Amino acid sequence: MSTYAVVLEALVDPTRRRVLELVRDTGPAPVGVIAAALPVSRPAVSQHLRVLEGAGLVACTKDGTRHLYAVEPDGLDELRRWLDGFWDDALARFKRAAEGSEGA
Amino acid sequence: MTETAVIAPIVKSVHVACSPEHAFEVFTREVGSWWPLETHALHPGEVREVVWEEREGGEVYEISTGGERAHWATVLAWEPPTGLTIAWQTAPKAVAPTEVDVRFVAEAGGTRVDLEHRYWERLGATGAAARENYGGDGGWEMVLGRFAGRLA
Repeated sequence: MSTYAVVLEALVDPTRRRVLELVRDTGPAPVGVIAAALPVSRPAVSQHLRVLEGAGLVACTKDGTRHLYAVEPDGLDELRRWLDGFWDDALARFKRAAEGSEGA
Repeated sequence: MTETAVIAPIVKSVHVACSPEHAFEVFTREVGSWWPLETHALHPGEVREVVWEEREGGEVYEISTGGERAHWATVLAWEPPTGLTIAWQTAPKAVAPTEVDVRFVAEAGGTRVDLEHRYWERLGATGAAARENYGGDGGWEMVLGRFAGRLA
């Protein structure tokens, strides 16, 4: 599966999106801090973080014995590239339609 | 709620060899002639018509071959032939609309069309009201599911 499809899949789950948003808003944080802000168990949050990490959306760093999770800024690039390509296609179609019917 | 640009706006520019008036009309009134309705519609491949209410506050919606109406967008700014802005509800229960702004600028040999599609991050909005609208069969799930389906 291509990278953008992995990113899309990772983002489809609403709880996982909340985890990502919390990580984004709080900055590098351990799983306990993230779990405390959500009505979700800590193991579930850990699982979501693993999926997000696998999709390249968050990165995990070690601070002593703690694992800190932070947003990976480039992680959404693939998705954005796909959206970008969508508009290229749509506007190319628009251009053909507009030029084909001028003066008709 | 923050609106950090998690996904930077998509900015596009295309030259069309026609007047701004004509480009504007094709973009709006004739959207059904160029929009990829077979993949990017609420009834993919089964759209009879796309209706664009040509005024601020107007609605853009599709009518399926079965006669069902499905909302696409609300017109935020309607300034023919120079530009328009729409709040695009990418799915029926999307938590918040993305925004598309299109400008039509006369230039040598025709018109430059500048398009900006922004506020993708609103799709992941965390506000309490937004969360209530999450629903299981719409919103991100539907949009992304369809995107992912097309990518597979």
